[in-house]
Amino acid sequence: MVQTLKLVFSNHFYIVLSVVIFTSMLIGLLILSEYVFLDPYIVGHISQGTEFGFVLIVILSILSALVIPMNVYRINTLKKSKGKMGGSVFSSFIGSVAGACSCGPVGFAVVSTFGSVGATTLAFLTSFELPIRIGAIALLAFTYYATVKSLKIECKIR
Amino acid sequence: MNKKGILIGIIVSIVIISVIVVYSSSSVETENLDVRTHGMISTTMGSPILGNTSAQITIVEFGDYQCHQCYNWFHNTKSTVFQNYVDTGKANFVFMDLAFLGRDSPKAAQASYCAEDQGKYWEYHNQLYTAQESQIDNGWANSERLKAFAFSLGLDVELFDSCLDSGKYTKRVQYNIAEAKKLGANGTPTFFIIGPDGQQQKLVGAQPYSVFKQVLDSMI
Repeated sequence: MVQTLKLVFSNHFYIVLSVVIFTSMLIGLLILSEYVFLDPYIVGHISQGTEFGFVLIVILSILSALVIPMNVYRINTLKKSKGKMGGSVFSSFIGSVAGACSCGPVGFAVVSTFGSVGATTLAFLTSFELPIRIGAIALLAFTYYATVKSLKIECKIR
Repeated sequence: MNKKGILIGIIVSIVIISVIVVYSSSSVETENLDVRTHGMISTTMGSPILGNTSAQITIVEFGDYQCHQCYNWFHNTKSTVFQNYVDTGKANFVFMDLAFLGRDSPKAAQASYCAEDQGKYWEYHNQLYTAQESQIDNGWANSERLKAFAFSLGLDVELFDSCLDSGKYTKRVQYNIAEAKKLGANGTPTFFIIGPDGQQQKLVGAQPYSVFKQVLDSMI
């Protein structure tokens, strides 16, 4: 596992990609989930009872920053199918969406724009914010495991 | 010519009747309500004012009783803001409904005004934010539960039930939602802090006490 990580991240491009993904996901999710506020002052705040949600966002961002560059490496180097890449992006997206448009900064706008479909989706995302995030993390963890395994095999063959 | 006159007469009659119907239906809800504005916000249809009515600063919250972030603000920040600004007479507080999160949200907002009819708006408001559950529309704020909350607060249940079932405050809640939309509130909670000179600061989200302190202190 460590060898696979070394293999991918020995190239600076993948380190930069990883840092960009981690930073943008973490900051974006923290803003959308109201852990960080930009207006009128920049302030970070973890209120009582929301600590677990914060930890899940950090885990989600770390896993995305690992899995997505590894799959990009896999596609670039081994010219294989984009299936695993799709899986990691999908789970990152699902995890990001969970709770991001709840009652926070954009909730009412979603309902106004998308009507009853938006309202139903919003209610679902808000109600199951944490389980959806946990599901996305599980999916990313599985994708990570599968990617490491396939990289090991494919690199040995080569 | 005669036919034209009849046609104009009919149109004029329809317009007059429509105006009377609209006016009479809205006057049911606005009776006993003083016209109230804070800065650019019409708070007439909102909650009663909490705190010193002649305070120089008004905090207006747009919220939904099913919103988790409103729950977080209510339980983590509100008490400190109240302790330092509302209870000391520096500011007062008004709650307006942006009830959009689920089908039970508007009903819960209407129930709070039915409680107001019996002088217990804020007790009922606090009860809803104490009883909120994590899942939207899972039944915690359905009509039966809203009536049960009224019973637990010692309200006249018969009066409360008839108020809630009649939809007496449907338009009042809709008015508040329209007011939120007009002000560009896209989520809950959204706060507007109105200072003595009418200056207005919008705070989006369940922001911490430190932000409220900075904004409020700059207006005093």
